[in-house]
This record gives sequence, structure tokens and C-alpha cells, in this order.
Amino acid sequence: MSSAVQLFFDAASLGGIYAMAALGIALIFGVMNLVNFAHGEYIAFCVFALIVPSTEAVAVMFLGKAPAILLIPILLAIGGAAAVASEYVVFRHMRKATPVAMMISSFALGFIIQNALLAVYGGRPKAISLWPDLNTPIALAGAQLPLLQLIVILTTLVVVCALALLLKKTRLGLEMRAAAENFTMARLLGVRANVVITGAFALSGALAAAVALIMATQTGVADVRMGGQIMLVAFIATVIGGLGSLPGAVAAGFLIGAASILLQGFLPLEVRPFRDAFLYTLVIICLLARPQGLFVPSSAKPRI
Amino acid sequence: MSKLGVFDVSVRYGKVPALTDVTLHLEEGERVFISGPNGAGKSSLLGAISGAVATSHGRIEMDGDLLTGRSPEAIARLGLSMVPEGREIFGSLSVDENLRVGTGLRRDRNAVEGDIAEIYDAFPILGERRNASAGALSGGQQQMLAIGRALMTNPKLMMVDEPSLGLAPKIVDQVYDTLVQLQEDRGLTLLIVEQSSTRAARVGGRMILLRSGSVVGDGNAADFAETDLLSEAYFGKSNQEVAQ
Ligand SMILES: Nc1ncnc2c1ncn2[C@@H]1O[C@H](COP(=O)(O)OP(=O)(O)O)[C@@H](O)[C@H]1O
Ligand SMILES: [Mg+2]
Repeated sequence: MSSAVQLFFDAASLGGIYAMAALGIALIFGVMNLVNFAHGEYIAFCVFALIVPSTEAVAVMFLGKAPAILLIPILLAIGGAAAVASEYVVFRHMRKATPVAMMISSFALGFIIQNALLAVYGGRPKAISLWPDLNTPIALAGAQLPLLQLIVILTTLVVVCALALLLKKTRLGLEMRAAAENFTMARLLGVRANVVITGAFALSGALAAAVALIMATQTGVADVRMGGQIMLVAFIATVIGGLGSLPGAVAAGFLIGAASILLQGFLPLEVRPFRDAFLYTLVIICLLARPQGLFVPSSAKPRI
Repeated sequence: MSKLGVFDVSVRYGKVPALTDVTLHLEEGERVFISGPNGAGKSSLLGAISGAVATSHGRIEMDGDLLTGRSPEAIARLGLSMVPEGREIFGSLSVDENLRVGTGLRRDRNAVEGDIAEIYDAFPILGERRNASAGALSGGQQQMLAIGRALMTNPKLMMVDEPSLGLAPKIVDQVYDTLVQLQEDRGLTLLIVEQSSTRAARVGGRMILLRSGSVVGDGNAADFAETDLLSEAYFGKSNQEVAQ
């Protein structure tokens, strides 16, 4: 019983991280048909923004020392600003380019950010300690759970609901949904392309920052390679969910999180190290069964 | 100064010319039909005016403001609104949301609710289905929604591309009755793409004929219905030539 509870919370918290990362990718894909492979590097960038720039092995907290009530909004703003800046510097000049050209540019941008982090912080993973108290276990329903897991799950729910409200209830949300369906038509009705795209990048960057905070707390490590790993899973989630579908991205993020925890829990010991091979087999089966994604987006029109 | 001035405008898609040196003018409050066969460049002309399609030559002015080189959203802000070919309603949005997309550019925000109520008065079926997803509407209802949506930007000049496309004749009558009524109520200037010259003649107004990207006729729609110019536009030669 207690281990079932444990599994549930493990799955939900891992899935929550994937879901938020996938949402960040799906948001931008929705408005401009861009699979932004630099998204993982926004996450890494936000993690490193917590510590003092140096190539020393031991990390000295910088922004990470600020009280949470300051730290959280500042880091969300940093993530949003980084994403908006990358749009301004790179993607704005590619609005008429093909989706493939934009995707390649996003790869390039990702490598540039990663190498910049390497140059400033060095390549060795650094131990960081952000809110260590959150990893102390608490007893719940007979299981021992780190408080952080509950916070991650709650955070995911809050983030998903807030985003849904924003899309449903605000002017920007309406314009983003209209633009996601038919960008040219939205512009013909006076919707400013720059406002919608900047808005999507800002939200996406803020989501990256939220993921960064959770990963930094949970793993206690700052590693320049961390972005690539989460990006891969998040990208797969957006494809399985149906590229461009926000609910699909969230659902598929949770699905992958759950699958990976269940495989970890129930695979025979001797094959457990090869868990990812099983996970990706499931991914392939998913894509074979429903190539258009579990949730088909209502439109797949070219944007702009 | 005319309401809309199109001077020597050309549009090309890659190497393919769609419009060549088109010049035309619309006066304030006028109703003008653009007619001509498929591929004549009618939609390209509307695209060039609205900013959705780039011009390769020439200039376009509305109320003396240069439109050429501006983005579609900037042109919409100057008071031009578009009901595109195939309606292009936002199928995943509700009827009500479709009407609100174009209100972001308005300064008179508090007039928006009243205007939406007016649209629902004019098209009761839209009011009944205001919370339904717009993709579930019939073709005729979608055409009404596209017109209502264009009106919600509070335009001075409205362009409508083939409103009769795919609609039953009775519904087409309704659409035109509505457009004429709206024009009278609001003093709109209307530019309508309509393939059927008899339809245009019945509704009344000026008609400009396009063929292969060029203007080949300009006059009263009623006079066009059975003339040589029209068959020339459609078949490429005049009746005299055919007779010889
Ligand atoms: N997006 C496009 N790309 C390439 N050619 C196009 C495009 N749109 C229209 N054309 C071509 O331009 C010409 C004019 O098309 P269009 O303006 O749609 O005519 P109409 O609306 O009168 O039927 C046609 O030959 C058409 O094939
Ligand atoms: Mg056309």
C-alpha cells in the first residue's frame, strides 16, 4: 500500500516536470510552428543563474541566496527574458523561413547557450543546495515523501490552471489561440504578430524557469548538460500529445513520467538499467498507433 | 482624395505574375465589385491591399495613408477589414470569441459590448450559438460570422472575397441583403469579389473586371451583365472575333 502511494507521487512529480517542460515547447510551436530545441538550454541557463559565475567545482549561491518570495519571481522573469531575447535576436529574423530552417537555428542557439555556460561555469557538474529542507521526508498515507514532491505536483497543477485561465480569459490568451489556429487571419483582424509571439516566448521562458527551480532543488546539481536530457523527453511528450496541443503536451508529459516510474518500479532487476530502451519502445508504439498524437490539434495550418 | 487608391500594383508568386500594373480607385461609401475568371488575381488584389500579400511594384493608399509595406495588423488599424475567401473563421474558438478577436485594435473599448449585441441582433442564429464552437456552424452561418467578425474592428473599408462561394442561392441573397443594409447603416465602403456578374448587377454598384492580372473593364455592374467585355474576360476573345 505505502509503496503504491510512493509510486503515485513519484510518477506525478516526475510527470509534472515533463508536463511543464513540454508545455513550454508546445506554446511556441502553437503560434509559430517552431520546435524550439533551445528550450532545454533556457532551463540550464536558469539553473546557472542561481549561482555565482565561476569555473570552481563548488558552487556559491548568488541569486539562490535570495528569499523564495523574491527568488521565484526574479527567476521566472529571467527565464522569460532569456526566451524573449532569443526570439528577438534569432527567430524574429526567420519568420518567413521554413519550419526546418527555424528548428535548425534553434539547435544552433541551444549549442551557443550551452557553450556560453561551459565557458563561464566550466564543464564539471556542481553541487548546489537550494532549499535543502524541501527534501526532508514527511509521512503521508503511510509513505515517506519528500515535501518537494508535493510542492512539484501542486506547482504543476497551479501552473497548468493559471495557463489555461490566461489562455481562456485574457485578451492575450484569445489572441494567442486565434493566432495558433490561423496567424494571417488574426493579423488581418489587427492582432499584432509581435505581441503574440513575444507573449508566447515569455510564457515559455517562465515555464523553463519553473522547471529549473524544481530540478535544481530535486537533484542538487547544476550541470550544463541537464538541458539536453529534459528537452528530449519534453519534445517527445509534445509529439506524443500532438504537436501544438497544450492539453496533449500536459497529458503526455504525465504519461511519460508515469511510464518511466512504473518501469523503474516493476522491471526485473537485471534489465532495469535498460529502462530507457523500454520507455522509448513504448514511445514508438504510441507513435505507430496514433502518429497524429494522442490529442490531435484542431488545426495544423502553416503560420505567418 | 479617393477612399482607396491602387496605383500600378503588381504581385508575383516567385516568377508567376498574379497582378500586373493594376490601377483602381474607390470613392467613400462606394460599393465596388471585382469580377473575373478563376486565377484572374482577384484574391491577390485583396491580399495586396490588406497587406497579407507582398507587392512587387506600385503603391496603395487609403485616405491618403500609404498601405504598401505595412503589416496586415497595421493596415487593419487604419480601418480596413477583410472577410476572406473561404471565411477562415477560427473553428476552435467560440462564436463569441471569434467576434472579439478583432476588437483589440479599438480605442472605444466600452462600445464593444453594444456592437456585439448589434451583431447578434442582425444575425440571431449567431446569438443563439454564441458559446458554441464556431467550427460547428453551417457554411452560411460561418459567412455571417466572418462578416460580423470583420465589422467588430469598426472598419471604414470592408473587403469581402467571394461571399457566395459554396452557399445556396437563398443564403447568398441573405448575405447580400445584409451587406447592403450594413453599408447603408454604417456608411461603409465595400469592395466585393463576386464571380457572378448577374448577381453583381442585381445587387447594384460599380464593377471592375480583371483578367490575367490586369483590369479589362470598369463600369456600372448592370451594364456589364451581358456585354462583350465580360465574355472577353472569361473566354479571352470578344464575340466579334468568335463570329468571324
Ligand atoms: N500562394 C500562391 N502561390 C503561388 N501562386 C499563387 C498563390 N496564390 C495565387 N496564385 C496564383 O496567382 C494567380 C491569381 O490567383 P488569385 O489571386 O487567387 O485569383 P482569383 O482570386 O481571381 O481566383 C493564379 O494563377 C494562382 O494560381
Ligand atoms: Mg480568389
